[in-house]
Amino acid sequence: MRALIIIDQPPYGSWEGREALDMALSLAAFDQPVALLFCGAGVNWLRKGQDAGKVQQKSIERNLAAAPIFGVEALLADAGACDQYGLAEADLLDDVCITDFGTELTGGFDHVAFAG
Amino acid sequence: MSSSLPEQTQTPAPAGVFTLVITGAPYSSQAPQTALGFARAALAANKRIDRIFLYGDGVHLASALSVPPSDELNLSEAWAAFLAENSIAGVACIASALRRGLVNDSEMQRYGLPGSNLRAPFEIAGLGEWVDSAASGSRVIYFHKGG
Repeated sequence: MRALIIIDQPPYGSWEGREALDMALSLAAFDQPVALLFCGAGVNWLRKGQDAGKVQQKSIERNLAAAPIFGVEALLADAGACDQYGLAEADLLDDVCITDFGTELTGGFDHVAFAG
Repeated sequence: MSSSLPEQTQTPAPAGVFTLVITGAPYSSQAPQTALGFARAALAANKRIDRIFLYGDGVHLASALSVPPSDELNLSEAWAAFLAENSIAGVACIASALRRGLVNDSEMQRYGLPGSNLRAPFEIAGLGEWVDSAASGSRVIYFHKGG
């Protein structure tokens, strides 16, 4: 079973993205192959240099940086959404792979789930 | 040319086993009611449901304290009755539940809370329950809040 968890919600506005990240980490903890895909406003998760202190939240940057260490196989960003939000590769966290979100991508996974 | 759809006889899941994940809260989303309709239809078509997993805002469905007006459907009660009648496990994710104030007796004692509010037969457990369903080849259907 290969799973793809898709985050299409921006960070900090709701807990749906964080809870989707927990799903991915949980799959990895049980040795299930899993990748994370960020699309739509969700690509803002991948910005470098986030400071969430002013909204009294923890930055998700460290959680994402740790995801590959905990066994998440890939952090994928939809190319179209990156363009829409003005994100070039240099603006993104390390280890992020820019890709095209479509049936060719999702077809490679047995289990695909959206955040919220 | 017939406009009727062919009768469904097979699902991609082995033996037609479904897991339903509900992430939308009752009364602020349609998710729990749509999921209940799906679950009833699945059993009527001789499919099996291995578990219901409540995640995110969906955990509110397991509250014993929701009291809608008497002329409205009590979704928590309806779901609890459906699970009990059909011996289907209903599991609320522990992290989602604690964050949102849904606790059973043991969590009440652990955190020194003034009460517990988990409706039977729902249980509280970890995401491992969902992983178990996903990894077992069960067909997992997600009911989100939408919009």
